[in-house]
Amino acid sequence: MKIGQGGNESAGAKASLRAGKGPTSPIEFRLDPASGVPTYLQLVHQVEHALRLGYLKPGDQLPKVRDVVASLAINPNTVSKAYRELETKGLIVGRPGQGTFILATLSQVALPELTGLRRSLRGWLAKADTAGLDESGIAALVASELRDFYERRSGSSARASSGETEGVA
Amino acid sequence: MTTLNTMSRPTPVQQGADLQPLPWRRMAWVTWRQHRTALIGAVAFIGALALCLVIVGLQLHHAYSAATACHPTGSAACNTVVANFNGIGNFLSSGAFFLVVPPLIGAFVGAPVLAREFEAGTFRYAWTQGFGRWRWTLAKLVGLGAVVAVASGALSLLASWYYQPYFASGNQSLSLTTFNQLNPGLFEQRGVAFAAWTLAAFAIGALAGVLIRRVVPAIVTTLALCGALAFATGGWLRMHYLTPLVTQGLNAPGSARIVSQWGSRGGRVVFTGPPSYPIYQQYCPAQAGLGKGDGSGAGNPLQCLAQHGFTFWTSYQPASRFWAFQWIEGGWLFALSVLLIAATVLSVRRRAT
Amino acid sequence: MNVIETNGLGKSYGATKALHDCSLAIPEGHVAALVGPNGAGKSTLLNLAVGLATPTSGELSVLGGYRAGSQAALDGIAFVAQDTPLYKNLSAADMLHLTRNLNRQFDESYAEARLAELGIPQKRKAGKLSGGQQAQLALTLALARHPRLLVLDEPVAMLDPIARHDFMATVLTAAADDGVSVLLSSHVLAELERVADYLIMMSFGRIQLAGEVDDLLAAHRVLTGPTSEASSYDEHPVVHSRRGDAQAHLLVRVSADDQIPVGWEAHPVGLEELALAYLREPGAAALPGPVRSWDAGPSEVTR
Repeated sequence: MKIGQGGNESAGAKASLRAGKGPTSPIEFRLDPASGVPTYLQLVHQVEHALRLGYLKPGDQLPKVRDVVASLAINPNTVSKAYRELETKGLIVGRPGQGTFILATLSQVALPELTGLRRSLRGWLAKADTAGLDESGIAALVASELRDFYERRSGSSARASSGETEGVA
Repeated sequence: MTTLNTMSRPTPVQQGADLQPLPWRRMAWVTWRQHRTALIGAVAFIGALALCLVIVGLQLHHAYSAATACHPTGSAACNTVVANFNGIGNFLSSGAFFLVVPPLIGAFVGAPVLAREFEAGTFRYAWTQGFGRWRWTLAKLVGLGAVVAVASGALSLLASWYYQPYFASGNQSLSLTTFNQLNPGLFEQRGVAFAAWTLAAFAIGALAGVLIRRVVPAIVTTLALCGALAFATGGWLRMHYLTPLVTQGLNAPGSARIVSQWGSRGGRVVFTGPPSYPIYQQYCPAQAGLGKGDGSGAGNPLQCLAQHGFTFWTSYQPASRFWAFQWIEGGWLFALSVLLIAATVLSVRRRAT
Repeated sequence: MNVIETNGLGKSYGATKALHDCSLAIPEGHVAALVGPNGAGKSTLLNLAVGLATPTSGELSVLGGYRAGSQAALDGIAFVAQDTPLYKNLSAADMLHLTRNLNRQFDESYAEARLAELGIPQKRKAGKLSGGQQAQLALTLALARHPRLLVLDEPVAMLDPIARHDFMATVLTAAADDGVSVLLSSHVLAELERVADYLIMMSFGRIQLAGEVDDLLAAHRVLTGPTSEASSYDEHPVVHSRRGDAQAHLLVRVSADDQIPVGWEAHPVGLEELALAYLREPGAAALPGPVRSWDAGPSEVTR
């Protein structure tokens, strides 16, 4: 998706200024440049986090692409990418001429399932501790597996959806 | 294997020739706003000179009419009036002062046009705008050149009016000062020459600016080149626009400007210039008053030399050729200006960095 | 449409060769960053693209096939050079008027509104504005022309952090609103990841790599493993290596389906790390065709 698609959100709003910003979003994005997390992912996480905490509810509007760009000085395609990712996850939907809106809440995991997951996690932690891993060792292991897990999952879904091969050497 | 550097199908190079260029008149405001200080300065300078000319000129013309109207001629009273006219001497009399105007205008109006753009780096703005750089240059040079030429042309009309009394025939019989119209210093101020010199100086300045690319060195170079050209023209070139007339004797008829003199004997040239000390010493020491120191040499030294078989010759340009020379000089200066401006535009068109 | 397309582009100034055999195809709709050490040829490339210089060899076309410097190219490309040249003794209003006269298209209401928004007084001489204001003024003049491509030569080098942020925000907002493609040369690696989605790296007058940032990042990994095996590693082309006595990190080029050899751990690479690695290895390149390595310093590139 190319730059300029922000036009589909606010058709005809060519002027770079508006006295007010029109309907505003409940949330504002922030950027942590030193976190090492890619920018678009930071935006995705912030939306999910806001959903989790209740700042965003279904029907709320997300900030317009050009407003995010103007306040954070980031590439418009990055914002678009984040919004696409959220759309793929089924969390948001874009309405041409109106904006981007929250579609659904994060899938709530049922309480019994959550309790079950917690119990097996505690068991695993005990095993790791016995094996000799300390706290940061455990955290590193978990982080690396988490990353690989989602990378594989998003990689396969991307290939499934577009059918193209990535990258090269 | 797909590549990191994805190339799409190469597109044919188009020229965009279907786009009409922007109208020239857009450059009018651009040129004015960017060069308004230089233009105002130049016009103010010329205006101040014009004012001087008018003030002193009125005084001069008044004295002249008094002198010519004075009767009886030769009387003591009229001699005073004549002396009054002859005595009017000021910075304009030699005419040399006005000669600074073309080089100054060329240097301070012409040189900065392009030199300043390079020095300040603003050509990176100006030449990436839609107007295009060689058209921008051409518009500025033609516009500014026309303005300075017209302003200086107006001044030279005033100068012609000022010097009128000095060129009138019949001055000599009244012992009134006469100047020769062909004299260097005077010639350039009148007719079409002054405007042509100003335009040429401007064109020299512009080319110096684009080649040297720094304002102060370009100004200095322009002044030097204009000075050299004026010197060469006034000192030698102008006297050879048309073949000089030759007459026998050491005097040129009427009001003429002497180009050269020489003496011959038996068909051979013996010396150039008027007869000099060594010649007199050799042939007619007595008549030339040499060795006596009391100027009591009997007879005319020239007659003496003539008796020895010498013939004297003078080549000259008659004052009647004034306008012919004006057109010739104006013509080649104008052609030079056109050439230099074209060279400047071509230089801009070829490369910027 | 490619906003800039070059093929074997070369530029010499007398005996000095500033660009060698550069081939690029920058697609529209991107914010492309041109990165490289001083003297790499970035300014030369930009000058060629905007028509301020002409190529000595090779081909160059802009905006989908027009000759650089032609009427169509001048209309469609806006350039803000290093040190944002403005006429210092002209006021901001004069600069607006000037730019309007010199261009086919000029959005005067946008420009005036923008100056008001920025708090730049219209009557003040451009030379009396602060560095940030001058940069914003130059940018406003460029954007008011509604160009298809905006070219910026180290625009933020002299600006303080807030001015820098505001400048880039303006550029990127224009990209979002108007669909302007952007090509900017930059030294500020830390901002690359946020700002650029197309990267071109140059060294010694040649292109080291060029491509969409996402593709470039997907095609590189940092492999961590034992130093003893590092020198002999030949599974993938190594761009840059850092070695301790026991442990080494190799920045390599991989394909998505590549298997990571046993004993090595793979990490994704960030854009800043990638750029730094290529800057450190001027001889490395990632261009289509056999990897070439020219004698420009130590290189780890293997085929």
